[in-house]
Amino acid sequence: MDAKPPVNGPVTRRQFLRNGARLMAMTGLGVAAGALATRSTGAAWVWQIDPAKCLHCGNCATQCVLEQSAVKCVHAYAVCGYCQLCTGFFWPEPNALTTAAENQLCPTAALQRTYVEDPYYQYSIDEQLCIGCAKCVEGCSRFGNGSLFLQIRHDRCLNCNECAIARTCPGEAFRRAPVEHPYLLKTTSR
Amino acid sequence: MLRRLKFIGALGVMLLLALMVCAGQRFPPPDFESGYRLPSASTPAARQLWLQYADAGVLLAALGIAVWLIYRKRSRRGLFWLSLFSLAYFGFYRKGCVCPIGSPQNIVYGLCNPDYTVPVTVLIFCFAPIVVALFAGRAFCAGVCPQGALQDFVLIKPVAVPLWLEQALSVVPYLFLGAGLIYAGTGTGFVICRYDPFVPFFRLSGGLFILTAGAAFLLAGMVVGRPYCRFLCPYGGLLRLASLVSKWRVRVTPDSCTQCRLCEQSCPFGAMREPAPSGTHPKWLGAERKRLGWLLALLPALVAAGVWAGSKLSPAAAQLHPAVALAERYTRQQSHPIQYGLMTPEALSLERAAEDPKAVLTAAADLRHRFDLACGLFGGWIGLVIGFKLVALSVRPSRTDFEPDRGACLACARCFTACPNERVRLGLMPAAGDPALS
Amino acid sequence: MNTSPLHRALILTAWIAGAFCLLVCGVMVYGHFEAATNDPWKSPQLLALREKLAAEPKNQPLQKEIRQLDLEFRRNFRHRLAMDKTGAWLLLGGTLALVLAAGKAAALKKTLPLPQPKPDAGEQSIKLASRARWSLAGVGLVVAGSLLIIRLGNTSVLPANQAVWQKLLGRSGAQEAPVGDAPVLSEFQANWPRFRGWDGSGAAAWDSKTMPGILWRSAIPAPGHSSPIVWGDRVFISGGTADRREVFCYNAANGALLWQRAIENVPGSPLKMSEAPEDAGCAAPTMATDGRRVYAIFANGDLGALNFDGSVVWTKYLGPIKNPYGYAASLAVWGNHLLIQLDQGETRAEGSKLISLQGASGRVLWERSRPVPASWATPIVIEAAGQTQIITLADPWVIAYTLADGNELWRAQLLENEVVPSPVFAGGFVLVLSPGSKLMALRPDGTGDVTKTGVAWATEENVPDIASPVGNGELVFTVTSGGMATCFGANDGKKIWETNLDTEVQASPGLLGGRLFILGEYGALVTLQAGRELHEMGRTQLPDKFDASPAFANGHVFLRGVTNLYCLGPAVVKLAKQP
Repeated sequence: MDAKPPVNGPVTRRQFLRNGARLMAMTGLGVAAGALATRSTGAAWVWQIDPAKCLHCGNCATQCVLEQSAVKCVHAYAVCGYCQLCTGFFWPEPNALTTAAENQLCPTAALQRTYVEDPYYQYSIDEQLCIGCAKCVEGCSRFGNGSLFLQIRHDRCLNCNECAIARTCPGEAFRRAPVEHPYLLKTTSR
Repeated sequence: MLRRLKFIGALGVMLLLALMVCAGQRFPPPDFESGYRLPSASTPAARQLWLQYADAGVLLAALGIAVWLIYRKRSRRGLFWLSLFSLAYFGFYRKGCVCPIGSPQNIVYGLCNPDYTVPVTVLIFCFAPIVVALFAGRAFCAGVCPQGALQDFVLIKPVAVPLWLEQALSVVPYLFLGAGLIYAGTGTGFVICRYDPFVPFFRLSGGLFILTAGAAFLLAGMVVGRPYCRFLCPYGGLLRLASLVSKWRVRVTPDSCTQCRLCEQSCPFGAMREPAPSGTHPKWLGAERKRLGWLLALLPALVAAGVWAGSKLSPAAAQLHPAVALAERYTRQQSHPIQYGLMTPEALSLERAAEDPKAVLTAAADLRHRFDLACGLFGGWIGLVIGFKLVALSVRPSRTDFEPDRGACLACARCFTACPNERVRLGLMPAAGDPALS
Repeated sequence: MNTSPLHRALILTAWIAGAFCLLVCGVMVYGHFEAATNDPWKSPQLLALREKLAAEPKNQPLQKEIRQLDLEFRRNFRHRLAMDKTGAWLLLGGTLALVLAAGKAAALKKTLPLPQPKPDAGEQSIKLASRARWSLAGVGLVVAGSLLIIRLGNTSVLPANQAVWQKLLGRSGAQEAPVGDAPVLSEFQANWPRFRGWDGSGAAAWDSKTMPGILWRSAIPAPGHSSPIVWGDRVFISGGTADRREVFCYNAANGALLWQRAIENVPGSPLKMSEAPEDAGCAAPTMATDGRRVYAIFANGDLGALNFDGSVVWTKYLGPIKNPYGYAASLAVWGNHLLIQLDQGETRAEGSKLISLQGASGRVLWERSRPVPASWATPIVIEAAGQTQIITLADPWVIAYTLADGNELWRAQLLENEVVPSPVFAGGFVLVLSPGSKLMALRPDGTGDVTKTGVAWATEENVPDIASPVGNGELVFTVTSGGMATCFGANDGKKIWETNLDTEVQASPGLLGGRLFILGEYGALVTLQAGRELHEMGRTQLPDKFDASPAFANGHVFLRGVTNLYCLGPAVVKLAKQP
C-alpha cells in the first residue's frame, strides 16, 4: 500500500523542476536557519519590566491580554523605609493613618499594612488582589524610597510573542529577559 | 490637585535637606529592635527551557504522525484525533504561543535587528512544518495546527466557495504575510500575532474587538471550511508555496482514477480539481499563448508599479511604530497642544520626549527611512504576487485525474473515503465483481 | 425527506446551545461595559467623593459613604473576574455542545454526491479561468484602492522628504537675528544691566577708596527678591504679589521714584494669578535692560518690555511655569537677544526651554528644549573659544548654546540637587557650583559631551547652595548660606583662605575692584580684601534684611532690601530726603 505514485520511466521535466525548486528552498532555509542559529545561544526569552524606566502610567493593568494582568507590584523590602506615613499606601494628605478606604491609595486594598514595632510598619502586597495599576509605585517613587515596583509575574504571564503592554509602554520599560533570570528586581533606591 | 502640590512643596523642602544628608535613600533603612526579619520578594520561575524544547519535540512528533496518517494509514479518523490532540496541546495548553504562524516574523526580526536572537525552539517551529511541506505537503495544516484544528472542529455544513473566487482570494494570505514581515523587520511589532483571531479563545481572554472577530471567524467557519486557513493565514501561504514543489502529493487514491467524479464535492476546502479538458481548439491555443505573453510582460510592470505605490505608503505605515508615533505626537503637540490628563500614558510619553526631542526625532527619521525601503518592498511584493497568480491562472494545468490542488490541499484526508476505489482498497466496500455483492 | 426524532432532538440541542452561548456572551459583555462606572480604580463617582472629602475631612457620613462604595466596587470587581472565568468555560462547553449536536444532525442529513454530466467541461474551465483572472484583478484593485485610502487619510505631521527632515532636526542654519539697535559693548559694560552685571560675573572694575555709606534709601512698594539693575541715571526694580506685579524706576542720584508700571492684561495670561509661590514670591527674577528697553519677568510667566519712560512696548505670556519653589532665573541680554531660561518640572523636564526673543519686538528668534527639570540659576553669555556662548545650569546638565541660533555647543553632566547658584566666567574658566557638593571650573572650548574631559578642577570645600561665586581671574570667592567665605586659586581650585562671617548670607557676593562685598541676610555688609591674604576691610550694619544681590554702577552700590532700596556711595553717611 504505497502512498507514493509509481514513477514510471525517466524523471519528467516537471519533476526535475520541482526537485530543483525543493533543493533551492531547502538550501535557503538551511542558510537562514544557520545564520540565526549561530547567533542563538539556545536561550529563550521572557518579558520583563525595567523598574528604572517605568513611568507608573497604569497601562499594565489594562493592556495585558489576560483579564487579570500578569503584572503585579513587588516590594523590595531591603529598600523600604517602613515609614508610618507610607506615601505608597496612603492617599495624599490622608485623613488619618488608618486602613480606612478613604485613606488608602490602592484601589483593591492589595497593599497591606502591618505594625512591626514603633514607628515601623511593614507593607506587603497580596498578589491575588493586585491589579498592577502602579498607584502605590508612583506614590512610593515620588516621595519615598521607591521600594515598590512593578514586575511581570511569570506564573501568570503567557509570554506572548508580542507583549500587548510592551507595545503601549510610554517609558519603553519592557524588555526581553533570559528565561533563567526572568526578573529585574530593584536592589537600590534609584 | 492643589493639595497635592502643597504636599509636594512641603515635602520638597524636607527632601532638599534630606537629600543633602544622604544621597541614597530618602528614608534610611530602619533599625529593627524586635528581631524582625526582612521578608524576600517571591520570584516564581518562568516556564522552564526544557519544556520549550519538549514542545518542539511534540511538534516534530505530531508532524511525523500526521505524515504517516496521510500517506501510510490514509486515515481520516486518525487525523481527526491527532488534530484534536493538537488543539488541546498547542491550543488550550500552550495557549497557541509560540506558533509557526507567527514565527516568520521572529525570523525576519532576528535577521534585521542584531540585538534580538531567535531562540532555537522558534527556529524549529518555523522551519519544521515548511520542511515537511517540501516533502509531504501541508501535513502541518492537517493535524498539527491548533487554529486549523479549531476551524475544522466547528465545521458543520460546508458551503462551496466558487472556484474563481477561491483562486482570486488566495493572494490575500501573501499580502498579510508581506505586511507582517515588513512590520517585524522594522521592529514595529508582530501584527500577525496581534490579529490572530483564535488565540484569544485559547487564552480564554482578550479584548472585545479581537474576541468578536474570532467569534465571527468561528461562525463563518461553521459553514465555510477553514476560512482563516484558506484566505488569511500567512504561514499557509508559505506552506502552499512549499507544497507546490513537494516530493509526495496527496492523492485521492493511490490507484488510478476512474473519472467517476464522486470525489468532486468531497473537499470542504475547495481544493479538488478536475482533469484538464482534453484537446484544445487551435483557435483557443493561440489566444491563450498571446494572453500568457501579455501577462508575463505585465509582471515586471506590476512589480514596478507596486514598488512605487508602496513607497508612498511609508508615512502612514510608519505611524504604527511606537517611536514614530511618539515623534508624531510630540510634533503635533508643538503646534496644536492637547491637554492630556496628569499621569496618563500620553502625557508621560510626551514628557519623556521633551527630555530629548532631538533623539526622538532622529530615531523617527531613521525609522521613516527604513519604512520607505520596506514599504517599497511590500508594494513590489504585492505586484509580484498578483502578477504571478495571473500567470498561473493562464497556464493550462496538466492534470489527467481528479486530484486535489497541490497548494490548496490541506491534507485533511476527507476525500479518501469518497472514492469508491479507495473504499474497495481499504476494505470498506466489496469490489465490483465481488461475489459478496448480489 | 422526513426528519427523524433524533435529528429533531439534535437540532433542538444545537439551538439551545447556541442560545446559551449568546446569553453567556451577553452577560459578559454587559459586565464589561458596566465596569466603566463601577471600577474601583477609575470610577468617577468614587473620585468625586474623595475630592469632596478632601474639602471636608471631618465629614463622618461622607467617610462612611466612601467606604461603602469602595467595598461595593471591590466586591463587584472580584465578582466580575470570577464571572468572566466561569463564563469562558461555559462558552467553551456551549460551543462544544452546539458543534457536536449540529455536526451530528448535518451528518444524518448528508446527501450522497450525484455528479451530473458536464458536456461543455472544456469551455467551462476556460470561462472559469477567465473569471478567476478578472476577479483577481478586482482583488488587486480593491487592495490598491484601500492602500490609496490609507495614503490619503494619512495624518502624519512628520516631514515627507529629506530636506524638511534636516531642517526639523536643526541641522541647517537657523534664521539670523536681525540687526537691531543694540547697545555698543562699552555702553553695555559701563552699566549694570542685568543680574550680577553685564556679564553676570558680579564684578565691576572700578573701585572706590573709601567705605561706602548710605546716600539714599527709598521704599519699594511691592515685595520681591529680584536684584536692582542700573542704566545711566536710572535704577529699575521689579516687585509684586499675586494680585499685581510692577516695575519701579528710581532716579539713581537721589532715589526718587520716577514711575511704576504694572505688567497686566498680558494676552494669554490668566486674569488672576492663582497664588504667589511660597518660597520665591512673584518677583524673584532680576530684570534686564539693553539700554533701550527694560525687561521684567514674573513667576506666573508674564514677561514685559517697557521703555525708559515707563510705557509698555510689548508683553508676552510664557506660562504657566511649573516650578516647585517659584520661577527665579533672571533675564539675560546680549546684543538684541533677550534670553529666558525657562526650566520647569519637579523631577523631570516638563517643557523646559531656553528662549531667545528679539528685545525690540518680543519676537521669538529661537527656542531650544532642555532635558532638565526646574532650576533657579541665571544664564550668562560669554565670548570663548571663538564663539558667543550661553552657559546654562540645571540638574544635571551644564549646557552651552551658541547665541546666534541656540545650537548646543557642549554639555556636561556635573550638577545635582537644586541648582540655584549661577555660573561665572573668570580666568578663562566657567565656574559652576553643584550646590552643597562641588565647585568646578570648566573649559568652555569643548564640543558635545564634555562631562569627563571639560573639568579643569573641582573642589568640595565649603560649597554654597544659594550664592553664586565671583572671581577676578586669579582668585575665586564663594560664600555659603551659613556665612563661610572662602577664597580659592582660580587656576587649581586650591583653598587659600576661609573665614566665618557670623551671619547668614543669601545674596551673591560682588567684586568691586579690589574689594569683595558680602551682604548678610540681616543687614551686615562685610567688605573683605579680594586678595591672597584674608583681611576684613570693614563691616557696616544696614537697617534692613537683604537677600537680593548688590548692583555696582556710577560709582555707587545699589542694594535691595526687603523694605527699601539703598544707594551706597563714597560720600559721608547722609540719609537722602524722600521727595
